[in-house]
Amino acid sequence: MAGQERRIDDTMLIREAQRGDRAAFEELVRHYDQAVLRLALHLTGSEHDAQDVYQDAFLKAYKNIGSFRFECSFYTWIYRIVTNLCLDHLRKKNVRKEDAPVAKDADGGEYDLLDQVADGRPGANPERDLMRRQLGARISGALQKLTPRERMVFELKHYHGLKLRTVGEILQTTEETAKNTLFRATQKLRGALADMR
Amino acid sequence: MKCEWVRQNIALYVYGEAADDARHELEQHTSRCADCAAELKAEQEFHALLSQDRAADPTPNLLAASRMRLQEALETAQQGGLLHRLAFDPANWLRQAKFSPALASAILILGFAGGVGTAYKVIPHGPGSGPGSQPVAESSIAGISSITQEPGTNQISIKYNTVSTQQAEGSLNDQKIQQLLLYAARNNYNSGVRMDSVGLLTQNPTDTHFRDALIYALQYDSNPGVRFKALDALGPYVKGDTRVRDSLLQALVNDTNPGVRTEALRMLEPVKADGSVRGVLMTLAAKDSSQYIRSQARTLLAQLPEID
Repeated sequence: MAGQERRIDDTMLIREAQRGDRAAFEELVRHYDQAVLRLALHLTGSEHDAQDVYQDAFLKAYKNIGSFRFECSFYTWIYRIVTNLCLDHLRKKNVRKEDAPVAKDADGGEYDLLDQVADGRPGANPERDLMRRQLGARISGALQKLTPRERMVFELKHYHGLKLRTVGEILQTTEETAKNTLFRATQKLRGALADMR
Repeated sequence: MKCEWVRQNIALYVYGEAADDARHELEQHTSRCADCAAELKAEQEFHALLSQDRAADPTPNLLAASRMRLQEALETAQQGGLLHRLAFDPANWLRQAKFSPALASAILILGFAGGVGTAYKVIPHGPGSGPGSQPVAESSIAGISSITQEPGTNQISIKYNTVSTQQAEGSLNDQKIQQLLLYAARNNYNSGVRMDSVGLLTQNPTDTHFRDALIYALQYDSNPGVRFKALDALGPYVKGDTRVRDSLLQALVNDTNPGVRTEALRMLEPVKADGSVRGVLMTLAAKDSSQYIRSQARTLLAQLPEID
């Protein structure tokens, strides 16, 4: 029911935004921008890059909202824009991997140096925090070995809990292809993290 | 063959993505096949391991900064306009016109008016038309206040207001420059211009008029970037000027932008022992909607006995 209300609300806001109402568009942004930023942040591993993806995605949406035809939900549409930008980012990152802030662990696996920054929040448990960061670093290294598309399907399914049917819609492919991609991604991750089980 | 099928579908099963019949078949098979049961257990354990790693939520500051940057960019961004839409989706335009009598009527009226306008233009003007027929080149038209036609003639009288661009140059000490900057900070509809004027006003916040304009910008400007800039410039005066302190407190309590609130809280730290600040901090620590603000307010309150 809440989802239905959100959709009706979105429809009104989209129509107002299509008539040039910027405040309506900004309201629409606030419905989705936290999820968009979370996705971009986890996929790019950098606040700066995540902000760029966020900015490019919503600017693109604003410029093209006139051509939005309600053939899918706004949610799917904005995620499609964001995932395309993130895929471009991942492809570029694969090309210039030597520039990334990564280091190698004892097993030769790469991890993001930013993951090594301690959690200074009051109440944090240092031991658990260390284990969490080590696990995060290993998983992050394994995720970077996936192809951009495998990474994206896994990200949307595992970290964002989307149904594979929705993932297929976002990536403009079939649910079956999304299933096969998820299978390949989990197989590769299990292989890369075999020693952790 | 069956075992191979099971292994290919175990990940989907663990993620709750297997179809009902596939799920049933997989459960039946793993209850009989020890190897596949072990494989299922391993996949479930692996899934549990991965689930310990969560994608972190963006911090309130990152979200606020991203929103602020986007708002600024949206002010200059253009939506794909009507011409763009017509050019790229004529079929949809025709569909809309077909099913929208109001739009069709409007197009008809526009066409008629356009025809009349064109016919009027090609009628040669008589010798009496004079300078009134010259295009308005020296100034831009700000608005049309009235249009009248003398009965029985083709003479039309239009009253219009004009705005011409003028330029003023001088230093920040120049009275005219100061007057224009103060006007721009309060009145201009373009937040880019307000940002520029507030940026210049921050160079001399000791001037009372400038400081007033900064306080006004912090309290009333619609653009969080402008408010943020004004806030930064006012920070050093929080100790000596109670009006500045009050405006920062107001921003801390009422501003809609989390970034501005967080910055206001940080800037109020030197005067946290002040009665009014302490009162606001206690209220925020108890019931602010932002967890970050609550915790920061508590931290500042906890520091009070040691410092003061």
